[in-house]
Amino acid sequence: MKLFKTKFDAAVIVLIPACIGINYLGKLFAQLLKLPLWLDSIGTCIGGCLGGPVIGAICGAANNLIYGFTTGDSITLVYALTSLGIGVAAGIMARLGFMQSFPKAILTACVAGLTAVVISTPLNIIFWGGTTGNVWGDAVFAATQAAGMPVALGSLIDEVVVDVPDKLITLIVVFFILKGLPKKLTALYEADAAVERLD
Amino acid sequence: MKSISLYVDNGSFLTKVHPFTKLMYIAAAVSVPLLLGRLWAFPCLIAASLCLLAAGGVLKKALPLIAFSFTILITIFLIHGLFNQNNATVLVSLGPLRFYREGLLYALRIGFNIMNMLLSFAVLVLTTRPSDLVEELEKRGFSQRFGYIINSVFQIVPQMTGTMNTITDAQRSRGLETEGSLSTRAKAFLPLISPVVMSSLINTRERAIALEVRGFGSGRKKTWLREREKHRGDSAATIALGILIAVALVFRIAEMIRA
Repeated sequence: MKLFKTKFDAAVIVLIPACIGINYLGKLFAQLLKLPLWLDSIGTCIGGCLGGPVIGAICGAANNLIYGFTTGDSITLVYALTSLGIGVAAGIMARLGFMQSFPKAILTACVAGLTAVVISTPLNIIFWGGTTGNVWGDAVFAATQAAGMPVALGSLIDEVVVDVPDKLITLIVVFFILKGLPKKLTALYEADAAVERLD
Repeated sequence: MKSISLYVDNGSFLTKVHPFTKLMYIAAAVSVPLLLGRLWAFPCLIAASLCLLAAGGVLKKALPLIAFSFTILITIFLIHGLFNQNNATVLVSLGPLRFYREGLLYALRIGFNIMNMLLSFAVLVLTTRPSDLVEELEKRGFSQRFGYIINSVFQIVPQMTGTMNTITDAQRSRGLETEGSLSTRAKAFLPLISPVVMSSLINTRERAIALEVRGFGSGRKKTWLREREKHRGDSAATIALGILIAVALVFRIAEMIRA
């Protein structure tokens, strides 16, 4: 099984906008229920798990680019890189078989969360001076700064506190959704599927 | 159904300007102050964006965008003004809180950068129909498959928010609590989101079949639905903005050589 093998037929092309829509819904529900997390990468992870790392990357990057260029939220543009990383991480882990059972899905979540932390932290420092815009994370950041820790370390802790739980919940949701999908749908995205001819 | 795009079709001159000229404006507005590295360059470009927005009659629409970023800006000012590592000189003290000059300057630079980016993007976002931008990109050789992805996001999202409202109401009528303590709200997340996600994923199968039937995968050359009216001054403006970036770049290089 090739790790990065990707199909580009109509089924996969249609999956990408659906995933971007799911990202938007996750964010909307998180705001509606006033949860202190973002939950805006559920679609990206579904895309990565179903279509592979390349589709995950496209879902993630396209998500932030589209919202950045149309809803005026130019801040999200910068985080296109983070989303891309999350999609790739989820896709690779799923292809390696790490979405088949619940404990393995938790491991996938940790990998995706840490990927997000590694990519986001430098962006946070460059564009926001280290804050993340999340209340809990920024409280931690303020505490580290008051304690005299360097900005980079404070920002890293800030990200870990927010991003890892966020991705943990995201991947748990993704795991249960993927479990419930009918086989006739998931079969559309299997890159290794061979066409059997009857004639 | 409410569109997620902020485009306002008010017929102003900005809506007629070619999307690429506006993209060039964003490139210039974001890169010039960063290249110059001077604090005064930011307010100059923020003022330019504000003038453009006012001339296009969309200044009011840009206000919510600014208001949204304000809470984050305040956090940045508080954290860096109070706790920045380089803080040495006290500027103001309010009771037990001491705001330092260095931290506030650092926060000011970040704040200007964010405002500048937000407003220059607003010039594009508020005056360009997303499908126009995609179509112009496709005319210059941008992949049509990606064009489809972008356009269909704008159709899918309003549909999905519609489904979301239906499902929220349905689950509430079955007694699901969506308000209350954090654990109650967290528990409501899965029963709310999974039906929407499931149904939208299952719908993709039918959408894919419908597309294939209509020749989506065909390699034939496709025609355009809309012809774009030419607008005077587009190329002149693009070249002028390009020169501006080049000048800023030369200035930066010259400064680095001297140092």
